[in-house]
Amino acid sequence: MQSSIPRRHALALLAATSAAMPVASAWAVDAGAQARSFVTMFGNKLVAIVNSDIALEKKKQDILPLLGQYVDVDAIGRYCLGRYWRTATPEQQDRYLKLFHQVLVNAITDKIGDYRGVTFVVGSSAPSGDDTAVSTVINRPGQPGADTQWIISTASGSPKVVDVVGEGASLRLTQRGDYTSFIARNGGNLDGLLRALDKQIANHH
Amino acid sequence: MLRVAGVALGLLGLASCAAPPPKDPDALAEYKEANDRYEKLNRKAFGLTMWANKYTLRPVAKAYIWAVPRPLRNSFGSLYQTMNEPVVFFNDVGAGKPRRAGDAFVRWCINMTAGLGGLIDVANYAGYKHHDNDGGLTLATWGVPSGPYLFLPALGPSSFRDGLGYGLDVGLSPWNYVPRGYGLLTFNWAYNIMGTINGMATNVDALDQVMKDSLDPYATIRSAYQQQRKAMAEAIKNDHRATVPDWYHTR
Repeated sequence: MQSSIPRRHALALLAATSAAMPVASAWAVDAGAQARSFVTMFGNKLVAIVNSDIALEKKKQDILPLLGQYVDVDAIGRYCLGRYWRTATPEQQDRYLKLFHQVLVNAITDKIGDYRGVTFVVGSSAPSGDDTAVSTVINRPGQPGADTQWIISTASGSPKVVDVVGEGASLRLTQRGDYTSFIARNGGNLDGLLRALDKQIANHH
Repeated sequence: MLRVAGVALGLLGLASCAAPPPKDPDALAEYKEANDRYEKLNRKAFGLTMWANKYTLRPVAKAYIWAVPRPLRNSFGSLYQTMNEPVVFFNDVGAGKPRRAGDAFVRWCINMTAGLGGLIDVANYAGYKHHDNDGGLTLATWGVPSGPYLFLPALGPSSFRDGLGYGLDVGLSPWNYVPRGYGLLTFNWAYNIMGTINGMATNVDALDQVMKDSLDPYATIRSAYQQQRKAMAEAIKNDHRATVPDWYHTR
């Protein structure tokens, strides 16, 4: 029986694959190492602020630039809107992202006070779709360690956090469940969500 | 046993009242991800449970946190965990994970003796860290699909599989086979009430935050629960602890 791939093509294919293989695996190792060192760097900066003796308000101020620099808030926001992102008007998208930034910042800064004396250990990294997942264990005094994965994407040109997975639950996926269900239950109208987010921010203190 | 009968009866009754899936492909994908055919009924159970919780368990848990210092609360938590270790053990065996089962067994032996019945988690310091397992997860490792999501009144988020697993766990708990008597009855009540209050105390802040920060707390809990159960089942499947202790290799 005639082979479907002529032999010389097969040989060329083999040569090409074997040539590409080390490159691919080297790249994977590189991406993993890069993501791990990114998480170590970002984590150290966060922990330095959280564990310092400065006032809580000052900590919240200090953390803002870090979030802007190392967290891809726009990407997370788009993800959280699910199918409604595509059907939203540019104005709605704009307004939504602005509100989402504020909601996310509030949610993070609200937690700072709970994390006095925190330490973390960076574990292994593994590919997660197009991104890289880095495992860490976050330890707080008197409490069991929390297994937390950081999903790092380089889609924006530099490594940034696009998701945090705590004890198996992805933060952005859970948030998307919340938002899309809310929109669906309010007649599929994005304006309902925008009003609710507005209210949420106004009520925050 | 009454609880098991209740869950089983509920599961049977549910099969007759599913909502039809949506037509739009995007909406259909979302519907499938939520895995919630009985959403209408589940939301009712959720609303009722949260309302009852607000006026009963939550204030009790808050008072408990206020009155009992953290080290003591941790002790009660590990007592509850130790008493549940036989259930973990049988499920580890059922899942075909002998080394995990061995760890659960050793934890039980150490904590019941040196740990004063579980008040001190000595096993943890001896290198035997706690791991969870339950009937729902065992069924998951056997390849049983979760089935539709369920929110069980008072018991919380679950699924057809996890509801069935809960029934199995009640059957696996040795406390239900000790001869009935006043002492055991008292122990069982104290144990379950303490476990419930302590469990609520551990989670009350997280629950408060979900109720405050979510626009649709029901959907948030549904999503987080299903993701977590999937991850837990995966973790058990991928747990390849050596089937012999470490020292066996080093000799």
